[in-house]
Amino acid sequence: MNLKVSLPKGHNESEFVFYLPFDLNKSARRTEGHLCVTENEIFVFIDGELSDKYSIDDFEEFACEQLVGCSMMVGRNEDGSGQKCLCAFTQDKFIKFAELCKILEHYKRTGIFVKETDNHEPRCPKCGMPLESGTECPFCVNKLAVMWKLIKRTAPYKWYFIGAVLCTVAAEIVGVIWPYVNKILVDNYVTPKTLGAGNGFFIICSVMVGLTAFGGLLDYLNMKCSFKVALSVGRDLRQDVFEKSQSLSMSSISKRTAGELIKRVSNDANKLQSFITDNGKDAVVKVFSLIIVAVITFMMNWKLALIAVVPVPFVALIVKRLFNIMAIRYGVVWRMGFRHSTLLHDILNGIKVVKSYGNEKREIERYTEASSNVAKASTRAETVWYLTWPLSDFIMTIGSFFVLYFGANSVLNAEMTLGTLMQFTSYVWMLYVPIRWLIQIPRILADASVSATKVFEILEEKSDVRDIENPVDLDIKGNIEFDDVYFGYKVYNPVLKGISCKINQGEMIGIVGPSGVGKSTMINLVLRLYDCTQGRILIDGVDIRNISQKSLRSQIGVVLQETFLFEGSVLDNITYAKPNATFEEIIEAAKIANAHEFITKLPDGYNTRVGNKGYSLSGGERQRIAIARAILHNPKIIILDEATASLDTQTEKHIQEALARLTKGRTTIAIAHRLSTLSNADRLLVLDRGKLAEFGTHDELMRNKGVYYKLVMAQRQTTRMKKVANAELAAT
Amino acid sequence: MDEKDIRQEIFEIDTLNILDCSKLKFEREESGYMTLEFEGQTYHKVNLTRLKPFYSKTTFISVSYENSEGEFKEIGVIRDMAELPKDEYEKVDSFLEFKYYMPEITKIFSIKDNRRGYIFIDLETTSGRKTVCIRDWYSNFRMLTEHYLYVSDADGNKYFCSDVEKLDKKSQSIMEMYV
Repeated sequence: MNLKVSLPKGHNESEFVFYLPFDLNKSARRTEGHLCVTENEIFVFIDGELSDKYSIDDFEEFACEQLVGCSMMVGRNEDGSGQKCLCAFTQDKFIKFAELCKILEHYKRTGIFVKETDNHEPRCPKCGMPLESGTECPFCVNKLAVMWKLIKRTAPYKWYFIGAVLCTVAAEIVGVIWPYVNKILVDNYVTPKTLGAGNGFFIICSVMVGLTAFGGLLDYLNMKCSFKVALSVGRDLRQDVFEKSQSLSMSSISKRTAGELIKRVSNDANKLQSFITDNGKDAVVKVFSLIIVAVITFMMNWKLALIAVVPVPFVALIVKRLFNIMAIRYGVVWRMGFRHSTLLHDILNGIKVVKSYGNEKREIERYTEASSNVAKASTRAETVWYLTWPLSDFIMTIGSFFVLYFGANSVLNAEMTLGTLMQFTSYVWMLYVPIRWLIQIPRILADASVSATKVFEILEEKSDVRDIENPVDLDIKGNIEFDDVYFGYKVYNPVLKGISCKINQGEMIGIVGPSGVGKSTMINLVLRLYDCTQGRILIDGVDIRNISQKSLRSQIGVVLQETFLFEGSVLDNITYAKPNATFEEIIEAAKIANAHEFITKLPDGYNTRVGNKGYSLSGGERQRIAIARAILHNPKIIILDEATASLDTQTEKHIQEALARLTKGRTTIAIAHRLSTLSNADRLLVLDRGKLAEFGTHDELMRNKGVYYKLVMAQRQTTRMKKVANAELAAT
Repeated sequence: MDEKDIRQEIFEIDTLNILDCSKLKFEREESGYMTLEFEGQTYHKVNLTRLKPFYSKTTFISVSYENSEGEFKEIGVIRDMAELPKDEYEKVDSFLEFKYYMPEITKIFSIKDNRRGYIFIDLETTSGRKTVCIRDWYSNFRMLTEHYLYVSDADGNKYFCSDVEKLDKKSQSIMEMYV
């Protein structure tokens, strides 16, 4: 990333290591400022004049604070006091200042001043527009290059593709021969009124029947080959996108909603599939057909041929303009449709809330409005389309009427036979077919390239959590070590800062701290759903980046606050962790998880259907299925993320029993908001503002009277407050 | 803490505390935030937040700070900045204009749609002319009310137009297709 952008007037590059411009003062007025950094000092210039000068050592840390409409770079001291705003800027400059802060932070920690930064800047090098997830620039991407990638995907089915092209070419040739045969029929038998005379008439009729049958056969073969190619490419694309979505890292996945991924797997791949069926081979054939028919018509009568095609350029212009209008009108329809489906999804998902507040009538009104907006927008778009398309089609074909007029005159003057005129007009109409298609091709290409870009964007995305070349398949014992770990979901905003601690095999560790402090992030790192930005995590002394993801995750069991059950039976959901488990093992796991009893009471026992459309289980029951799943998995490390947070005390007791059996002898990391839940923990790891504040047993931490002590006291106080409030409620 | 204090705390959390504007004394501090003197207490690194940023810039302003534990503490809410003395009004307004820096759109020259969900708008704002790239324009270029246009570009910069009816006819016809 370039952090040497522009200098204040009168200064040269050798004076500073980094120099960045900023554009706002503290009163939100535009200003021309520069923040320049040497190895020891920071200089702030406003309008070319030195405004402030600081030593880097004046501050303990540097950060960028993002406000609503702008951001500022600040220097802070250890306790957060003594913060100083160094400069303010609009959001487009945020990334560069954040990178500068990172370098200064690195210097503060290590004493090493990095003078070059190799971090990729997420901006298009061509147009400077910001890039989403470091992929292709939406503006500069070559549309044809994307389409070429699609064409290359037909390679495995090239013989079918060639077959389809050959059949279509042959069908076009049949189409070209037909008017010629028709001409012979008219000139030799219809005009002289000698129908039925001699064998010639029957031969011509047989040829015409033969050509029709042959054309039909070609169409059949053509469709068969085309569909084979299109359906196969569509299937390959869907499968590849799905496989890729499974292998992407969590940070890539969470950039997109589930709906968006589903749309890319199904809709976009389907759109490309129909593009290949409808237009893939057409591209070759239509051009071929245009050339052949144009050559024939111009050779037959170049003057009439010219008359036929004169209106085409005007129509092309009208259509181009029309497409722009149509694109916008259909854009409005899409937007209205999007709002309509979002509203529908929202209301139906929240139907319980709607009913409990008696708001059905209001929601019906909202829905009616959204629905009629879709209808109105569609009517507007379709009206324009159906008014203008026939008109432009009429203008394009108007040449054929002139052809008829001048051609008929030639026939009357005996300069041309009737058969030749009929042959010629047939060719003229044949000429309009590829022209019509060619005029529409920019729109078709644009539409397909949107889907192609979206599909290839996923297919070509490099996962940021990847296995190394020869990863280790480790037989995990359960020792975990965090070694100076830094991590942020956004690189510039670290959630965890310098975490170092050792967790021993078989130990139960509770992670505590206020919400948003990075507790779940720590376990996400152990699971390697993300890679740490700096530092490393070791399992049994091996860096987890060197362990294969499959081997790592197959030995870690997870029980989360919200248990997701897949569509299927209780049995399917328990065996998800070990598909080849015997039924005895499954029952045993369910018993250990305190789940066997309630499963037995279900109408269909272990075959009871659960999930979205199945039997609805309570939170505690779902949790016990998750525990049974984890037990069957037989993991070496167990992660419990608020596993009992949403349960009542009685259910929690059952779950705690099950968890105690699950975690026995296994390294366990547990997060719980209710500190009492962690009473079984051997040691507690206390996080505060992303840093490891304390690490020790409950008694040690209580004696220290630090962060943990305050948390415990605060929770006790809340419990007392609840008691007082309840007592007051009871009294009234 | 005795029960009376506990009840007091419950009361403080549950009640909207409308601040007496005549008792507020703000100063802009070097941290980029504000210092507030109120009822004999001094609060540092005070943050002001427009509770209805799109509909009212000067009413319902939350005054808060973070305590030493990093917890959000609301001192109260200014119902209407017009109740503040003139110099206090200016200090509060200056901070809010900084925090919610959002140039106003005065003219739209053109909108180019790349048909991939991105639009590129050439516009004139109170901070000068520029071309902005808008990602996912269905969400980031939209009318919040019948007249209020809200724009958020791919960098995170925000723009607005308080009344699109006041824009010239050409700007209105250009943007009509997108809102």
